Amino acid sequence: MSILLNNRTRLMIQGLGNEGQNQIRRSLDYGTTVVAGVHPGFRGGDSFSHGNHSFPVFPTVAQAVEQTQANCCIIYVPAPGAADAILENIAAEIPLIVCITEGVPVHDMIRVRTALAGSKSRLIGPNCPGIIQPASKCRVGIHPPDVFMPGNVGVVSRSGTLVYEAVDQLTRAGIGQSTCVGVGGDPIIGEQQQAILRRFNSDPDTDAVVLIGEIGGLAEQAAAAYIKRSMNKPVVAFIAGATAPPGRRMGHAGAIIEGEAGTAEAKIAALEAAGAVISRSPAEIGSTMRRVLEEAGKYQPPGASA
Amino acid sequence: MNIHEYQAKQLFKARGVPVPDGGAATTEREARALLKEHGPDVVIKAQVHAGGRGKGRVVKRDRASRTYNDLRREPERHEGQIVGRRRGGVRLASGVEEALKEFRPLMDKDSRLVSVQTGADGVPISAVLIEKQTSIAREYYFSIQVDGANGQPLIVASAEGGQSIEEVNRTNPGAVLRVPVDPVEGFPAFRGRSLANQLGLPSSAIRQAGDMFANLYRVFSEMDASLVEVNPFVLTSEGTVMAIDGKVGLDDNASFRHGGYEAWRDRSQENPTEIEAEEANIGSYIKLDGNIGCVVNGAGLAMATMDTLKLHGGEPANFLDIGTVNRKDRVIEALRIIVNDPDVKTIFINIFGGLARVDIVAEGVVDAVNELNIQQPLVVRLNGSNVEEGRRVLHDSGIAVETADELGDAAALAVEAANSGRRRSRSNN
Repeated sequence: MSILLNNRTRLMIQGLGNEGQNQIRRSLDYGTTVVAGVHPGFRGGDSFSHGNHSFPVFPTVAQAVEQTQANCCIIYVPAPGAADAILENIAAEIPLIVCITEGVPVHDMIRVRTALAGSKSRLIGPNCPGIIQPASKCRVGIHPPDVFMPGNVGVVSRSGTLVYEAVDQLTRAGIGQSTCVGVGGDPIIGEQQQAILRRFNSDPDTDAVVLIGEIGGLAEQAAAAYIKRSMNKPVVAFIAGATAPPGRRMGHAGAIIEGEAGTAEAKIAALEAAGAVISRSPAEIGSTMRRVLEEAGKYQPPGASA
Repeated sequence: MNIHEYQAKQLFKARGVPVPDGGAATTEREARALLKEHGPDVVIKAQVHAGGRGKGRVVKRDRASRTYNDLRREPERHEGQIVGRRRGGVRLASGVEEALKEFRPLMDKDSRLVSVQTGADGVPISAVLIEKQTSIAREYYFSIQVDGANGQPLIVASAEGGQSIEEVNRTNPGAVLRVPVDPVEGFPAFRGRSLANQLGLPSSAIRQAGDMFANLYRVFSEMDASLVEVNPFVLTSEGTVMAIDGKVGLDDNASFRHGGYEAWRDRSQENPTEIEAEEANIGSYIKLDGNIGCVVNGAGLAMATMDTLKLHGGEPANFLDIGTVNRKDRVIEALRIIVNDPDVKTIFINIFGGLARVDIVAEGVVDAVNELNIQQPLVVRLNGSNVEEGRRVLHDSGIAVETADELGDAAALAVEAANSGRRRSRSNN
């Protein structure tokens, strides 16, 4: 048991451009089961090979699913076509869609969210690093694999590079990870932090969660409300952007300060009141989690069975 | 991306949203023609992207900084005078000569509009909108924005217009209506009429207001807008509705569908260094007040890097998200921007490679040091994809850099170097 991915995940990749090819090679090297590619007019022909691995490439998602029973799709399609790719996966009833693409127009995402409602699909992203699950060697994303280690702490973050930063600190502190999810930095995304927290809460492989938020939007307040209401595992939280000047956009389209609710202080106050342990410094996420796990009697030194 | 009010009103007018008669002028000749056509009683509005225009001041460039500090110190002194303040960005005038007297200082090349939102340099005025005055019975608020949590457009409207909607929301939240929009249905006129009814508009204006709201929604959806705001729209004393102001934000991510939005862009309203960063394909650059120049990958890590510097007593000179680095010239371009900022006393490079490859970053750093003759101390923290090769490249190059593996340690080094005020030594051998 674990969240979103497991050792029965059959990954398909949509968008085999240079970046998609580089990333899928690294996932294959990591040990991920990749069963299909989707790329209309793929120049490499009807299959993709890397070392001992190879998988067929199809022009449409529907064909790929029919012939390979893929149950998860990672999308590297460039921004103008990304929403169309997501819609194609929703139409093919792919249970889990992960979209890495940055720069998807917000009106396209309004259409995607409408199509997701009542569908059989779940979406992570866009503008995200994807999902990685060290124990099942499942890398559905763009993560640097070396910093990850199997263990009992879940990570959920809006920012990609902050997933790596937090995980690097956890691993150095001797804390492995169950599943790490980057939900994405855009104003409209698929699953938000709160939904991922709910998954971790009922996941027997996860004993505690690192939550990384940032200024802008109200997602952290929703996460705080969920923590207060239902979370029965410790949460260590960091909010990026406490020192950002108000009114300026800091890269992530979602990180605009909208009145008081969007500030780091408001988010930290909500999370603190909900019982989360706040790491004020981004450099202390690992040490804070170590302390929290030890206090809860849940610290598993590396090498112990995960 | 923001556009000017006069451009927003062009978008409105083209879709049947009533706006006052008038137009934009940049020369006295154009102004005179507009005044003859639409005078004698006119409103004169400086066209800038920054907010707080009505409460701001138009001053000579060399007084901008002092004015900015005045405005910041005593904002309450400047409250409540949106129109009519002679030195502000929105003025009333009667007759051609009086109007030209107000127009000239606005279009003076040396003038800057300063408001609490412009920063100490103020902003240049790109054009002046000259419009026929409207006789107002009541002011209302209307906007369409994107509700990220629900993934839908959201209409916000109020019968308490002409003032800050945040202020109305604080003091009288019941007066702010929120209408989620079903994106499949859009916002047809009958929904608009229902909203007009809720706002308490007189029955004689309901049909026209319903059409106006539906047409504003067309602006939002046809232009790929992230915001359409009309504050205020008014009920005139003749009983018709009209958009008196207009603000439209366009989604940069959708510019590929609109010819890059080139017709709507005004680069004179943007920071020149930020434009340079954009042209060098750097994810995002924002100038700040401190002295530690930052080069970071990822917006979240870039913000967290600034937070860490501040916790160690340092001040970032900029926010810079370099984006995904797969070519070393992008590192060189980023460092060129940092090095050219005279405020920068230390450079802090913090890269955690995922998509980005750290060894390419390291090669870029080495080339930049040699090419740009960097004088400031350089603190480099590398981690992630290909980190071993990256660290080896730095080490083998013999350039003088201070390095640390962990974020906290690296930030402490950068703050120490910035505070010591020293220069970079020539090599580490």
